[in-house]
Amino acid sequence: MSDNYAVIGKNLPKIDGRVKVTGQAKYTGDLKFPNMLVGKILTSPHAHARILSIDTAEAEKLPGVKAVITHEDVPGLKYGISPARWDENIFCIDKVRFVGDKVAAVAAIDEETVYKALKLIKVEYEVLPAVMDPIEAMREGAPQIHDEYPGNINTEVHQSFGDVEQAFAEAYHVRTDQFIGQRTYQSPIEPHSAISIWEGGKLTVYTSTQSPHYFQYYIAREFGLKMGDVRVIKTYVGGGFGGKLEPTGLEFAGAVLSRITGRPVKMFYDRHEMFAHNRGRHKQIMKVTTGVDKNGKILGVHADFIMDGGAYTSLGIATAYYAGAMLPLTYEFDNYKFDMLRVYTNLPACGAQRGHGAPQPRYAFECHLDMVAGDLGMDPMELRLRNARQPNTVTPNAFQVNSCELKACIEKGVEISGWKDKRGKLPPGRGIGGAVGSFVSGAGYPIYRTNLPHAAAIIKVHEDGTAATLYTGATDIGQGSDTILCQMAAEAMGYNYENMKIVSADTETTPHDFGAYASRQTLMSGAAVKQAGEEVKAQLLEIAAEMMDVAAEDLDCREAWIYRKANPDERKPFTEVAREFFVRRGPLVGRGSYTPPKLGGTFKGAPVGTSPAYSFCTQISEVEIDEETGEVDVKEVWDVHDCGKVINPALLHGQVHGALYMGMGESIWEEVVFDDKGKIVNGNLGEYRLPTALDMPKITSELVDSVEPAAPWGVKEVGEGATIPTMGCFANAIYDAMGVRIHSLPLSYEKVWRALKDKRKKEEKK
Amino acid sequence: MDQFGARGKVLAGGTDVLSMMKQGLLAPEVLVSLKNLAELKQIYADPARGVVIGALATHNDLADSPVLQERYLSLCQTAHHMANNQVRNTGTAGGNLVNAVPSADLPPLLIALGAAVTLVSTGGSRTVKLEEFFTGPRMTVKKDNEILTEIVIPDNSFTGSTYHKFGLRRSGALAVVGVAVAVAMEGDLCRDVRIALGAVAPTPIRAFKAEEVLKNRPVTDQLLEEVGRCAAGESNPISDIRGSKEYRQDMIRVFTRRMLKKAISEGHV
Ligand SMILES: Cc1cc2nc3c(=O)[nH]c(=O)nc-3n(C[C@H](O)[C@H](O)[C@H](O)COP(=O)(O)OP(=O)(O)OC[C@H]3O[C@@H](n4cnc5c(N)ncnc54)[C@H](O)[C@@H]3O)c2cc1C
Repeated sequence: MSDNYAVIGKNLPKIDGRVKVTGQAKYTGDLKFPNMLVGKILTSPHAHARILSIDTAEAEKLPGVKAVITHEDVPGLKYGISPARWDENIFCIDKVRFVGDKVAAVAAIDEETVYKALKLIKVEYEVLPAVMDPIEAMREGAPQIHDEYPGNINTEVHQSFGDVEQAFAEAYHVRTDQFIGQRTYQSPIEPHSAISIWEGGKLTVYTSTQSPHYFQYYIAREFGLKMGDVRVIKTYVGGGFGGKLEPTGLEFAGAVLSRITGRPVKMFYDRHEMFAHNRGRHKQIMKVTTGVDKNGKILGVHADFIMDGGAYTSLGIATAYYAGAMLPLTYEFDNYKFDMLRVYTNLPACGAQRGHGAPQPRYAFECHLDMVAGDLGMDPMELRLRNARQPNTVTPNAFQVNSCELKACIEKGVEISGWKDKRGKLPPGRGIGGAVGSFVSGAGYPIYRTNLPHAAAIIKVHEDGTAATLYTGATDIGQGSDTILCQMAAEAMGYNYENMKIVSADTETTPHDFGAYASRQTLMSGAAVKQAGEEVKAQLLEIAAEMMDVAAEDLDCREAWIYRKANPDERKPFTEVAREFFVRRGPLVGRGSYTPPKLGGTFKGAPVGTSPAYSFCTQISEVEIDEETGEVDVKEVWDVHDCGKVINPALLHGQVHGALYMGMGESIWEEVVFDDKGKIVNGNLGEYRLPTALDMPKITSELVDSVEPAAPWGVKEVGEGATIPTMGCFANAIYDAMGVRIHSLPLSYEKVWRALKDKRKKEEKK
Repeated sequence: MDQFGARGKVLAGGTDVLSMMKQGLLAPEVLVSLKNLAELKQIYADPARGVVIGALATHNDLADSPVLQERYLSLCQTAHHMANNQVRNTGTAGGNLVNAVPSADLPPLLIALGAAVTLVSTGGSRTVKLEEFFTGPRMTVKKDNEILTEIVIPDNSFTGSTYHKFGLRRSGALAVVGVAVAVAMEGDLCRDVRIALGAVAPTPIRAFKAEEVLKNRPVTDQLLEEVGRCAAGESNPISDIRGSKEYRQDMIRVFTRRMLKKAISEGHV
């Protein structure tokens, strides 16, 4: 394939870079409307309690209060982002199910009045026994969180491919290990916020969202509105990482408060409320068994998992499936069994966080494989190489993999990290570890069942050809989709990036797109944009052919010049031809849409994890451990990615750095901690320890050549995939450094210290 | 302050007061800002009293002070590793002491260096040894109507001092344990030593027994380890989100030994 591109593959500056660094970019929280009220939600102080009564009389009397609402004032229809389990109400009706569950809301003229009013709402509770642990929650006699789900089982997955028992029976070596993950939170730097304006029959919502479409769909459904009467507008968004995919109480309560008061209502979460709303990473308890032959070839794998879902489903059904579905992507084996129980507890609901369900199982699997390699006396990267997936293969769970350069990723990672000279050979306290990963480039199926295309785009060329505007539902939440989609549009049109404008993520002005999740936009939105761009170009070439008196097939357009292929000097500027087009035919518009092919098997849960294309990567890290304190000092990390054709290398490496940053945090520092009453102990950025700039190691982010046949220009994802191997690679590096295996996340200093202490004790005994 | 009593609150850098007010943990009727008292911002050497640090000096003022850099670089280092740059630009030394959080970073080293504070009210002024200033978490001997005006490190015979905050990340971390030491060396004998520990008791504490173990004996690695163990035994930490009691005590052992070694061989660092 020719790599002779004019606009893609280049480090062009972010289209919104200037407005962001100069502070001009307006986030939802920055917006003001005439007569705007401030709204706030009253939440439950108890993890599990029956609501006996709610008295809002005092709050209503407070001067400045314009509306106080409870479950009596809102639709009782249950909602949730997973259609199979709608289990949330706008406000709790009979029971509260976690500390932070929604009970009532107030709109008032300013923030101070709102807080005062919240204190005046009197709620009488009968406190019920609560359960915070998924294993406890499944025991007989455990408190029942939802009547509809006996035993607190929210989702149950049992999948079996090939014959795992047989594989284990024939294996040279079979080993089982158990690992435990932790609850983490996405911690986007911008808190959630929404402004609802319900005027006449129409509801407009400005919001910090990853998916205007799902917001529009679920808000319309909840209030019985036509989709066309709900307009969702994304403003600039300061990060989401999965936590802003579904509408929250801010949109639902805000809409009702606006309808009642007839005024715009702004609602927001503060940092602690963000932690309580959550939808962050599930804590998983993961048992993995693998059988291998003498040479380390994997014969079969059994993944037996339990996850703490919290009080509601959120996107958790998909998370439960993803947890197991993604494991066979990286290695070739035929026999695979996956069991999962997602369990309700009286804690905040978990959902999708960068890597959706996959990073913790990957940590478990990659640690476990290092241990298997250890048993066989094999280099762990060698074991990975022997099992690494090849291109054009199908996983046991029926995922078609086209391009796949995992082998090349491992080989390059081993080479650039100096693995062979380091592994087992570094001075005491220092170690190196590796892991691999893979992720979807967009989900094969949308979250709710529909045959809508996954992405669509319109490009409108300005009448005189000096600009072109891309209209897309794709959602830039900081990752840079507006930039790369404009690069793609310009490339497809034969235009200049500098002249591109973009209107994105507004359900009224931009065509449909499912939004920013499952690492889908570069491939899926990109496919729609490419088609739209090509349609513009084809129309231009037609007119140009008339103007230049040649056949359209003999012409091409590049960097805003239309030229004869046979003689590029014979050319006309894009502007002139575009203007002529408008004169002769009216608006110059290109349209595109993208629907993935039918993907996956027919078994239960088969759609989850399907994708037109998969990214692959290897991460290797070097750490230094303080043997007395357990302190983990990350020295260096190498990431080698197969992510297809790269549209903007700078943004791609930025994604790798960012994903590593998050992955490092989850590996070593981050955990949301609760007290025995279900209250969050560290719902702030002081004690929920995200890494800081000073904690970042040297990062080398490298690529291997790869082109995906099922994608526009051969692109694949990078945003989430780079978080997947991280935890496993750190755990393996710690093991190499100190000979201790930490079986739970995070790999905190104290856990390392304790493991070292236990190891010394054992050695003393010998 | 006389006029407002408990209804008023002094505002220095506000990094603590304002965040507590935002969380609804504090609701003073009146905030009395000290911002305009420029004389309380100075750091200087007074031949009669020692090194004087104005209560309003910010952490970055401490870190950048030529006087401190020359005399007690250890204090500059301590200030430099606190919080983050934004907080270091606004948070003050006085606020750090009056706030009286057990994990605060300035108290242990100032105690090790034998510092005292000056408390002023309309009724006059008094001097309190910092060691006797703290009475419990967020509690001090300072009365509501008093203002802390300065911190004085009297001239002394210490040849070295240092502090280590053991935090769980490199910036913006509160101490799991904090260990400060000041030593007066004569050859390989330690004639005088003060060991002050943070985050392991309701107030910063001295490890008196450990100090005695070290005094007047030839310094060896073994001896320092023994001192560390003794200090660990004297600490009385709680288990919380930053670490268990057991972990904290062991970290006292490790860092007492390491900090002593550092101050003995490197001076005020
Ligand atoms: C993000 C963040 C990180 C932090 N990290 C650290 C850290 O690493 N280490 C650490 O030790 N601390 C840390 N702190 C705590 C805090 O910043 C410091 O304790 C700081 O020194 C407080 O000083 P201030 O001037 O801001 O105090 P203020 O908030 O103004 O006051 C604190 C208290 O002291 C009283 N007060 C202040 N000055 C006087 C005075 N002169 N006379 C009488 N009363 C007075 C006030 O009334 C109030 O009760 C951190 C805080 C934040 C927000």
